[in-house]
Amino acid sequence: MNKDVYILGIESSCDETSVAIVKNGCIDLATVVLSQMDVHANYGGVVPEIASRMHVENITIVIEECLRKANLTMDDITAIAVTYGPGLIGSLLVGVVAAQTLSYVYNKPLVPVHHIAGHIYANNLTKQMAFPLIALVVSGGHTELVYMKDNYSFEKIGGTLDDAVGEAYDKVARIIKVPYPGGPLVDKMSHQGRDSYNLPIPLDDDSYNFSFSGLKSAVINLVHNEEQRGNEINKEDLACSFQTRVVNILCKKTLRALKSFNVNNLIVAGGVAANSGIRERLTAICEENNINLTIPEFKYCTDNATMIAAAGYFAYQLGRRAGLDLKAKANTPLE
Amino acid sequence: MKILFLDTSSFFVSVAILEDSNVLYLYQDEIYDDMSSKIMPIIEEGFNKVDFNINDIDKIIVANGPGSFTGVRIGVTIAKVLAWSLKKDIITVSSLELLATTPFNTKYIIPMIDARRGYVYAGVYDNNLNSVLEDQYIKYDDLKDYFDNSTIVSFNELDNATKPIIDVVKVVEKHKNDKGVVSHLVNPNYLKKTEAEEHLEEKND
Repeated sequence: MNKDVYILGIESSCDETSVAIVKNGCIDLATVVLSQMDVHANYGGVVPEIASRMHVENITIVIEECLRKANLTMDDITAIAVTYGPGLIGSLLVGVVAAQTLSYVYNKPLVPVHHIAGHIYANNLTKQMAFPLIALVVSGGHTELVYMKDNYSFEKIGGTLDDAVGEAYDKVARIIKVPYPGGPLVDKMSHQGRDSYNLPIPLDDDSYNFSFSGLKSAVINLVHNEEQRGNEINKEDLACSFQTRVVNILCKKTLRALKSFNVNNLIVAGGVAANSGIRERLTAICEENNINLTIPEFKYCTDNATMIAAAGYFAYQLGRRAGLDLKAKANTPLE
Repeated sequence: MKILFLDTSSFFVSVAILEDSNVLYLYQDEIYDDMSSKIMPIIEEGFNKVDFNINDIDKIIVANGPGSFTGVRIGVTIAKVLAWSLKKDIITVSSLELLATTPFNTKYIIPMIDARRGYVYAGVYDNNLNSVLEDQYIKYDDLKDYFDNSTIVSFNELDNATKPIIDVVKVVEKHKNDKGVVSHLVNPNYLKKTEAEEHLEEKND
């Protein structure tokens, strides 16, 4: 019998300082997420310098709290996994430097984890991932379709050419004066409205790429024009019209990817995986087409270290290691 | 007493391992990029050269700013995680005081870090590293009263400034018996709010 593997994960790529301990890549023993969302809400978005400062303030507190919660010590930990990128560089490097230090002091292997790999492996905490699969990664910073033949084999088949889907949601929220972070509220409002506004369909071509900036601009122009004419916007209808365009194109390209790669496992990952419009449509499509759909629990959709520790387990098993010279990278391809 | 000293608050990095007043390992050099990937390997190299390991450290002394925001964060993060791991307290020292260890023959020394737009981070110190004017974010010109009997030192290109020569031992000797602070409570001393915070305050005034 193989020995149990305990991975301590560290995530600090944006505005959450998080540490988690995961056993064997699937059991969440303890997760601590310290979100800075309330602070950044005062500025209408994440302020990188403030985020970096708060990570430093909180890092040891979060590590300690996680071990306490798991009732483990660092001696019980097999390896340390950390998000090295992509993300805000000043934020990332706090987690990376903390992980380097723990790795050196406790003489534990250091495992580098790509943030998107983390989002994908959040699914393994919900249900053991079956391959081959297509992963739809949707968040504030990412919109990607990834084909995985096996564990840790990532083939990006498409991605956004401009705004990430979550970014488009937040910008639309701002223009219709919904407080930050507005994505979840736009989702909620869309259920109370009708698809009555004539908005463009975003990049509907043969590729697996996405483009949301045109749709976002169309919403902004529409709101400005109506304001100038003195007409009131029906926010619920506008939210519904926007969400319908987004959900349609995401589902259409995802289904096409599943068919052309002849895959019947779909996983969804990232903060926007919590979007009910996307969940509902994908659930229906997958039922219709006999596709196994996994969406992580809500708490694993937004940024967290549990997913980093889960991905870190598979990276560790494959022998992926970083030295004390591990670099934080703002932009880095999923590999 | 085994001491680890860290200063990553500017491109001129100091990492030292001392036993009492003896410097057993000293790294002092310029690091211009990727500092976050270079400090732990330097610390590792240091402990490879001395006959004890990092777990034997009694005191951790870190320069916690002011200086490069990112640079300060790297040193402070290492110090915090290390201190938490070893269950030791941290002694913080001012990055400006460290510059004030430069030999000088005037009454005072004014260590400065360029903060742009005519501003500097600066303090005024005497020959025993006592603070005469506390570290602050200040207009270069507002320090003029001190200029006649002071030496100005800075790594940056500032008027009348000469290059500092950092004496780690001098600052360690002065502070090694200071009361330390528990890792959770140690933070960088940026001496300046973020621009976003300043704008928000202006808007709310």
